[in-house]
Amino acid sequence: MAFDRQQVEQFIYHEAQLMDEHCYDEWLALWSDDALYWVPSGRDEIDPAREISLIYDDRVRLQVRIARLKSGFAHAQEPKSRMRRVVSNLVIEEAEDGEITASSNFMLAELRRGKQDIFAGRTLHRLRPYHGGFQLVTKKVLLINNDEYIDNLTFLI
Amino acid sequence: MLARQDIDYDALVKEDRVHLSLYTNPAVFADEMDKIFHRGWVYVGHQGEVPNVGDFRLKRIGLQPVIMVRDQHGAVQLLFNRCRHRGATLCQEGQGNTRSFRCMYHGWTYQLNGDLSGVPGEEAYGDGFKREELGLMKVPRVASYRGFIFGSLSPAGITLEEHLGRAAAELDLFVGLSNADDVEVVSGIHKYHYQGNWKLAAENSMDGYHAPIVHASFGQALMDKIKNNPSPEQQRAGRDLIGMGGVTKDLGNGHVMLDYKMRIYDSLNNDPMPTVRAVTPEGQEQLAELVRRFGEERAANMLREGGTHTFIFPNLILIGIQMRVLQPFSADRTEVCLYPTLLKWLAPEVNTIRLRSHEAFFGSASFGGPDDSEIFERVQAGCAVALEPWQLLSRGLHRERHEDGVIIGDFADEVTQRGIWRQWKKVMTQEAGATRTARKRSGNVMAGKGR
Repeated sequence: MAFDRQQVEQFIYHEAQLMDEHCYDEWLALWSDDALYWVPSGRDEIDPAREISLIYDDRVRLQVRIARLKSGFAHAQEPKSRMRRVVSNLVIEEAEDGEITASSNFMLAELRRGKQDIFAGRTLHRLRPYHGGFQLVTKKVLLINNDEYIDNLTFLI
Repeated sequence: MLARQDIDYDALVKEDRVHLSLYTNPAVFADEMDKIFHRGWVYVGHQGEVPNVGDFRLKRIGLQPVIMVRDQHGAVQLLFNRCRHRGATLCQEGQGNTRSFRCMYHGWTYQLNGDLSGVPGEEAYGDGFKREELGLMKVPRVASYRGFIFGSLSPAGITLEEHLGRAAAELDLFVGLSNADDVEVVSGIHKYHYQGNWKLAAENSMDGYHAPIVHASFGQALMDKIKNNPSPEQQRAGRDLIGMGGVTKDLGNGHVMLDYKMRIYDSLNNDPMPTVRAVTPEGQEQLAELVRRFGEERAANMLREGGTHTFIFPNLILIGIQMRVLQPFSADRTEVCLYPTLLKWLAPEVNTIRLRSHEAFFGSASFGGPDDSEIFERVQAGCAVALEPWQLLSRGLHRERHEDGVIIGDFADEVTQRGIWRQWKKVMTQEAGATRTARKRSGNVMAGKGR
């Protein structure tokens, strides 16, 4: 199945906007049941069986992450971060099983309690064709500072 | 600002309250570095971080940079990260493996044990030049327990065993009674700063009172999960967490703990949990001993998510499967490093569950730790109020129990914070010359015991 480049782009831009605007439920609804939301710690290529990540969420833990953010008691997001991110350098490939892999760069400005931070990295999305659109199956975020001190990464990245 | 010698710590640290300036005054911070971090025993690292010859990690004792390295003979050394020639730091990477340390200013080269092995154009220094006198400076006293390596910049003082006292038994439980060589510390490091005093993290780490408030979002999200996944195991975990049974303990010397038995950090993992099993004969013995002492269910839980919840004065926190190190930076800035541990004798799938349990609550994107950091920053900001500048630490003071030298209180009593401050005050008011006098008298650094 040939993919429609514009459709993939729109999905990625839409996901970025949902994260920027803290649209938690809509963001969660993008994911498949076999979801993996992964932000490695220390370096890009790690063995999750033997090494820690910043985020290594399966579907159940993703739900917990969202339930926590919505609870009103996630103090590290009270007040919430104000964010805008730019997504670019998008490379799209079709995998053998018909799924799509998309890799892109992002730069995120995040402002909270008077302090503005820049986060940057490369994101690898794996998308599954679903009802004429896509489901997000895995998302791996390679932060350029994943081996540095990171004080608060409780927003969606 | 008061000069250091004018600070009256007796007036600032009361049994039931402490003065806010102890979190904000740069002169107090400088005094803490001298008296606590540059004199007494300080936790530096675990030998499992440098398993192979040439493995090194950059550390600090107080504000001084130290290289922890496995030398060419297999011993772990603590070397100051400073060339003896013109003072540049030798090692720039946080961790790695090397055959030697070479200063990139003039090329002086040191072996892994700190011996000076190469000086370009050495003959220009003349006959009096002695390489053997110009090795890297070593931390004066280094001692380890179960592979936990501590250093002291004072050549004399109490032994590490005397310092640890009753807390040594908690280090035993933290590593599941494993031998030092069976503890693996190669799973990465979670690192973060906060804009606040280092003692805020120490106090909070052993605070049973804050959990239902600061971590309300974790509790609520967990209940949500249990509702959606109503397995018997999950429901039991939920009941345990609500029950929050346990006690606070002051073990002496500033070492304090929360002693509880509920399952917390692995409650976000999915059922069924992997069976806890040992893959070596020694491991089978250690597992059997834990089961004998704590019962099968609790022993399994201790190995999946951590066996103790203890603060070792002044900078080591054992929570879950992590060694958490507090690195003071200034009166209002602190660096925190979390080192998750694996046990060589545990089945691989159990070690993996340890990491997933850790990630649930700890690290910059987790469901627990960032909320604590947020509160530390709010406390530090609150310290700017000058009227009634006291922190109250009196909860449960009237009902402390004393058992065999241990002070015990209810889970949400401030026994632990009082224990930390009691030791803090003792060290900060100690006669400054005491250590040096003892050293002169004994004439032998190894013989220096007591103060």
